Amino acid sequence: MINLKSLFKNEAARKVLLFFNENPNCIDTAKGISLWIGLDIEVIQKALNLLLKEGVITIHQSASTDAYAYTNNKAIVKRIEKYIKNI
Amino acid sequence: MSDKAEKHDFLIKFSKSGSISVFKKLCSKVLRRSRPVFLDSEYIPVKSTGRNSGCDHFKIGKHLARLKASHLKEYMIFKCSCNQICLSFPIIQGSSVYGYVLFMHIGKDPGKAAVDAAKQCMDLALREFQKEQELNKLYETIRPRAIALSTIHTIHRLLSSTLNMDELIERIARLTLQVMRSKHCSIMLLDESGRYLIPKAVIDLNREIPRAGPQYKKIRLGIKPEGRVAKSGKVVILRNLVCVPLVEEDIIGVISARDKTNDAPFDKFELEILTTLAEQAVIAIKNAQMYEEQEKMAYGSIKALAALLDSKSPNTFTHSDEFVKIVLAIAEEIKLSREDIISLHYSALLPDTGKFSIPDEILKKPEGLSAGEYAIIKKQHLESIKIIEHLEFLKPAIPIIKHHHERYDGTGYPDGLKGRNIPVGARVMAVANAFEAMISARPYKGKKISMAQAIKEIVRNKGTQFDPEIVDAFVRITQRPDFTYTMEASG
Repeated sequence: MINLKSLFKNEAARKVLLFFNENPNCIDTAKGISLWIGLDIEVIQKALNLLLKEGVITIHQSASTDAYAYTNNKAIVKRIEKYIKNI
Repeated sequence: MSDKAEKHDFLIKFSKSGSISVFKKLCSKVLRRSRPVFLDSEYIPVKSTGRNSGCDHFKIGKHLARLKASHLKEYMIFKCSCNQICLSFPIIQGSSVYGYVLFMHIGKDPGKAAVDAAKQCMDLALREFQKEQELNKLYETIRPRAIALSTIHTIHRLLSSTLNMDELIERIARLTLQVMRSKHCSIMLLDESGRYLIPKAVIDLNREIPRAGPQYKKIRLGIKPEGRVAKSGKVVILRNLVCVPLVEEDIIGVISARDKTNDAPFDKFELEILTTLAEQAVIAIKNAQMYEEQEKMAYGSIKALAALLDSKSPNTFTHSDEFVKIVLAIAEEIKLSREDIISLHYSALLPDTGKFSIPDEILKKPEGLSAGEYAIIKKQHLESIKIIEHLEFLKPAIPIIKHHHERYDGTGYPDGLKGRNIPVGARVMAVANAFEAMISARPYKGKKISMAQAIKEIVRNKGTQFDPEIVDAFVRITQRPDFTYTMEASG
């Protein structure tokens, strides 16, 4: 079970989640996401790794590119939406 | 949004904007810290815009309505029901009055000069708010498009990094599913007749079947939405389906997304995204097709060369199909890159090109070689390889062909390379070559032995003749239940 409370306590993870919740069609690199969110790429990369581990985001990889996207899991997305509404 | 609702929305936003805060501060001294109340153009107080004195705002509104303040389009100083002085400014956008700002119970009449100054502040606040609104609108319009553009750029990077058609098609389908937030995606390409669409990748989140299978039937052109799109070249967007053609001069197929994960309908923005994604996909598919054709030509050329060499001396320059299979199996077991596997495949088709200039009497000599004959073999091995150097696509394979007689301990030929200095492909070939030589009894290799004995012999030479890691991989392959090595299939 994903601990959203703990994820939302992490500023970068919260911002990434809010970003993907607002732009669910987005697929982007850590660099791109850091640009949209306005945080350092290192901080974003750490947050992405954490969110990936929790199964909230997915990764699409090629030899030269790691791209991140929002999960397609309807139940998880609904839980996050509900959590954001209640913040 | 209706005109009335738009104006109402404008007033709410304006009442909460940073511009009005500055206006309030500027006017606070003149207007006795009276907080503004916003009325709409029909003098009805706008909700969520703050409250003021104990005065009834509705009554004030009715009072203003009687005075027909809108006709004046100017500020008004008037007395409210509790006989206090109030001030109202019209909020004018273009030629229409959007509403009013009321300052209630401001004490004495502030005088024309002060009200004019307040009016100027009000105009300034309005202009600032308009700019703010325009910027917000621009941000709201441009940001999603910029994010979408960045997504397309990322997709382009992901697609252009593979030339393997199966991998590419599946990747396109997965990315489509992701970007369209759909439960189902299919990519269908036209068959050679141009009459049917063949499913190449079908991903269904409910079923998780990653590839096209017999359960997904081909579709005749003009039938079903996909068939109609392929026939007409026009996109189809329905509530739960969006389908666009893959066009490269002619239509080569269709890509479709079905059922959004949140059960919402597909919109025009998503159609635009899928259309752009389809354009990227076509370029990637075409590149992969061209690469496949080039690969076929390369294999064809190598096979022709092998056949030519075989016609001179059968089974001397080429090995069995099983040999090629085991070489590729080891390459996959040790997880070589796709490029390395291709080079190794080329090498395995022409492993002994180096023997081309070696005299037949040495090649076919049944007993062991003299030192002189061995020296001839080493020299002629290099000479022969020069023949294939002219074929550009074979260049990555040359080091493998050249060095597959090296030994791991550095006592092999032609250069006496040791350990990992020997190209990895050559180390793989060395194991497979020795295995086939032992079980097929080639000339000067002694008598034929059993497969189990040959494997044992290879393991015995682990670390001296052969790379230990590759021997381990080879042994793992031979232990698979489906492992076979049929010499009857020799070419």
